[in-house]
Amino acid sequence: MHVDPFGKLQSDPWFLSGLGLALLLGLAVMLGPLAAPYDPHDMSFVPLASPSAAHWLGVNDGGMDIFVELLYGLRNTVAFGMAAGGLALVLAALIGMAAAWYGGWADAVFMRLADVLLAIPAVMILIVAAAFFRPVPLSLALLLALLTWPSTAKGIRAQALVVKNRRHILASRQMGASNARIIIRHLVPELFPFYLIAFAAKARMAMFMEATLAFLGLFDPSRKSLGLMISFALKYYYLDIWWNWLLPPVFVLSLLIMAVTFLAVSLEKRFDPRLQEAL
Amino acid sequence: MRKTLMAIWLVLALSVPAAAQISEIRIADTTGDWGYPNAFRHYPRGPGYVRMSWVFDTLVWKDENGYVPGLARTWSFYPKIMAFAFELHPKAKWHDGRAVTADDVVFTISYFKKHPYGWISLDHVDRAEAKGPHQVVIRLTKPYAPFISDVGGTMPILPRHIWEKVDQPQAFDAPEAFIGSGPYRFKDFNKAQGTYLYEAFADHHLGRPRAERLIYVRSGKPLVSLATGEVDLANIQPEMAEPLRQKGMAIIQDERGWVKKLMINHKKPPFDDRRFRQALAHALNRQEIIDRSQRGFGTPASYGLLSLDHEMYNPDTPVYAHDPEKARALIAGLGYTKGADGILQREGRPLKVELLSSHITVGGQSVADRDGEVIKKQLEAVGLVVDLVNLEQATTDSKVKNWGFDLAVSGHGGISGDARILNEMISSQFGAGSVNSARYDANLELARLLDAQIPEMDVVKRKLLVQRIQVFHAEDLPAIPLYHPQSMAAYNPQKGIQWFFTRGGISKGVPIPQNKMALLR
Amino acid sequence: MDGRNVLSGEWNKRWTGIAVYLLGAAVLIYLSYRLPALLPGDFVTAMFASSHVTLTAEQDAQLRAWYSQRPDFGQYLLGLLRLDWGYSFAFLTPVSRLILEALPWTLLLAGSAHALSMALGFWAGVEAAWRRGGRAEKAAVGLMTVLEGLPEIATGVALLLVFALHAGWFPASGAQTVYARLSLWSWMLDVLHHLALPLATLVLAYLPGNFLLTRASMVMVLGEPFVQTARAKGLPPLRVRYGHAARNALLPMVTRFGLRIAFMVTGALVVETIHSYPGLGTLLFSAIAKRDLPLIQGIVLFSSLMVLAVNVALDRVYGYIDPRVAHAR
Repeated sequence: MHVDPFGKLQSDPWFLSGLGLALLLGLAVMLGPLAAPYDPHDMSFVPLASPSAAHWLGVNDGGMDIFVELLYGLRNTVAFGMAAGGLALVLAALIGMAAAWYGGWADAVFMRLADVLLAIPAVMILIVAAAFFRPVPLSLALLLALLTWPSTAKGIRAQALVVKNRRHILASRQMGASNARIIIRHLVPELFPFYLIAFAAKARMAMFMEATLAFLGLFDPSRKSLGLMISFALKYYYLDIWWNWLLPPVFVLSLLIMAVTFLAVSLEKRFDPRLQEAL
Repeated sequence: MRKTLMAIWLVLALSVPAAAQISEIRIADTTGDWGYPNAFRHYPRGPGYVRMSWVFDTLVWKDENGYVPGLARTWSFYPKIMAFAFELHPKAKWHDGRAVTADDVVFTISYFKKHPYGWISLDHVDRAEAKGPHQVVIRLTKPYAPFISDVGGTMPILPRHIWEKVDQPQAFDAPEAFIGSGPYRFKDFNKAQGTYLYEAFADHHLGRPRAERLIYVRSGKPLVSLATGEVDLANIQPEMAEPLRQKGMAIIQDERGWVKKLMINHKKPPFDDRRFRQALAHALNRQEIIDRSQRGFGTPASYGLLSLDHEMYNPDTPVYAHDPEKARALIAGLGYTKGADGILQREGRPLKVELLSSHITVGGQSVADRDGEVIKKQLEAVGLVVDLVNLEQATTDSKVKNWGFDLAVSGHGGISGDARILNEMISSQFGAGSVNSARYDANLELARLLDAQIPEMDVVKRKLLVQRIQVFHAEDLPAIPLYHPQSMAAYNPQKGIQWFFTRGGISKGVPIPQNKMALLR
Repeated sequence: MDGRNVLSGEWNKRWTGIAVYLLGAAVLIYLSYRLPALLPGDFVTAMFASSHVTLTAEQDAQLRAWYSQRPDFGQYLLGLLRLDWGYSFAFLTPVSRLILEALPWTLLLAGSAHALSMALGFWAGVEAAWRRGGRAEKAAVGLMTVLEGLPEIATGVALLLVFALHAGWFPASGAQTVYARLSLWSWMLDVLHHLALPLATLVLAYLPGNFLLTRASMVMVLGEPFVQTARAKGLPPLRVRYGHAARNALLPMVTRFGLRIAFMVTGALVVETIHSYPGLGTLLFSAIAKRDLPLIQGIVLFSSLMVLAVNVALDRVYGYIDPRVAHAR
């Protein structure tokens, strides 16, 4: 695992395309506010105007520029995905490694807890929570993380168990290294590729959820989101707006999910030990 | 030879246009659920009433030109005895086969006096008497100008033999609760799916209805539903007219029967001062609201509240041009000064108002409301601080009802119906129960006029009174009428039915093109 | 060897497995039961402050009365067992009836989508793994990976827009034409006609995952010695593929199928909403929009029971598919 982990990846077309898309979208996310010619909440434009030099994608029914909406919606979706993915990863890593390292009742308790959580559909809880409690998106991201850490934690635990019994770890223990030192210096870094895979998978699911919740209208209506744009554009199906209002968010959302999917798939191919020989 | 004759006969028979009988008509509706179709169970909005109107006939009805016979063949007013006499159609029957008689009318009036029906007022009615099996005389306590529209054209007649045993009409849900004398029998209603099924009542006194079955379908996409033939009639957005016309659909447009209004809490300062309300009117740019929120489809309303298409509309009603300077001047005259940030303030406190906005049902369709956002910007341009709160319609309604608001965007129909609507929408005496009423009683002269127009049976004199009421409304502005959205519908002419918008709206003024007369021609 | 030996690991594992699902179900049911108490402020106002329902004074009083005399959890559970699942305020019908009306549609949609995508994905995955390295295989993997990246919203909206809204070839909503008096055949065709678009969306969403999973599993299995043996024995390739190798790749697919069916209620929610298909997902969403707590509780309960039932059933199915599992019992 220490030996040139990323070598083979560089020649993998999936990785490259995923990375390319991710960089492109990342650029859009970072530079979004700078590149945006208007304020996203500015409603002063003529509603449903066609695309023009002033409005590259035209104007929506509320008088807001669609291109700017797209940029800000992308940001929100990515932010939600990163937050939920990151939080889920941190939780899963902590719990998974603790379970693997300490074993015993800690392991049993956490794994049973994970099983129970796996038996609960996350979508349902999210929808009910979003509708009734109207929390800020960050809280929803946290909730999602709290519901989805189990599968990743199990994976991390399994990996940690394998690594735990490797020679250099046993050697460290023999030499008297403390638990903390071993975990931090050895366990955590060695599982690194697994984190990438897990993060990609969780972020992908979170972004998907964000778009779904926004589409269903469960976020604050003034919060820009790709899902919300799609839902609004669909209402005006009878106008000729499918190509400048409906298609862009669908396209961007697809590109986003695809980017993360390609990255996840290529990383999995390279690093998931079970699939080492298979692909 | 015989075979040839047969063949010729067949060809002729088949090429003659099919009999006017259609197997079914399907109507699209975005909401779906409007309650069970009888007087006590339908939802208190236009579409709910219409669902009931297929099953229950009234004495008089309306078509696109004016009043036509319903259950009554003729009717006349006798001023000397202050009574209306109706002669019922002898062939009128209930769905269970029994004949409709004057006793049913007499019973209906006494039943509605005991169990009030929100859509009509029987305050001016003394009693009804059956003068024969089909002759009924309804005596008034005082003259009542809206009588034909109200009791004649809105009140459904109930079968005595069924309802005389019913003490709790709201709880009565046996199949007999839906036995009426209308052209259609009620067959099924699925609340969850929002669908209705009616079957033709062949023995209806005005003839067998043209469609064997009448079905309401819930559809959020009227353009598609019409284009694919899934439905035969639907309300549409104005932009859908052209594509539908190209697909062969007939398009009809309503008179301006629905108005968007800015409700004002005139019990609370500074809204209690007339000048402030006038300043608000000057601050608003109604054409801009139409352009932004209705994509240009709409007409600015009269400040007198009555529809521009109403017979008693007053073209000389005062108008408030969009004039932000004048608005600021008026508000300054009330003691407000402009602060450094452009915000008006008095005694150090900025002029802050809360504006409620919500989803509203227009002519049966639920539409998102952008007016609030536009109004907010316009008021802010004059120097107010506006807090826009988006709530669901029911919540806005209840806040308005309880005076828990500053300004609220609302709207209602009925403004092309009988001029009684002005009383309902202005004074609290008539409009206590309505969430659209301004409940404004501060102007005594206006109140006097409102009281005077109801018993004025002379149409010419009544018109004068109604026109003066509009002027007062425009001067005092208990609420600010904004605009009439453009209301259109489309139908498939190949079915042979010509749907139309009723003159003055169905019954009290419901601006929906689902008039049963279209199926009885 | 005695499978009923309580101390054997498999037995223990099996029952703790079920206990876990029971616990999960219990947590969900309890949460839904407690929802009114969890809501901030006065729950009736809070519930209906942002909903579409018009509450008359009578209904308001009725609701408050109902919520203040809430039975304790034990009584609530007993009520559920007696099949008293409550009465929907928004629809004025018993909750159980609403669920029973919507259930067949969700079963039809989700069931056939999963079955189709599993069958197709399995077959395609097996064939692709067999032909590993070839151009067709590479293209298939490529296509499927791209498809995997397309979210359901995108495919659903695109299909709706193109085939329903613009072309008008398929209906834009509903599961059948209401009140149509059709013969059995016509009715079935009508149902299929309405089912086409949502089914297509779901199949496109599930197919890539199934394909890639099967292919990956198959590739691993094909590398095993017993496969070489089978080939060496001269068995026809088809038999080797399906009779010997694929069966081993079946297990992960069954697990996945089981999980998906277990979470069927929410799995197809977005697609149901986009195509206005009247299944349990749409029902749940309406219930939430109308703040109809009894209905929400009913659906949550039903979903939990589904998860429980499916997992118990899965357990049995493993035994049939993988003789090793059954043998260990």
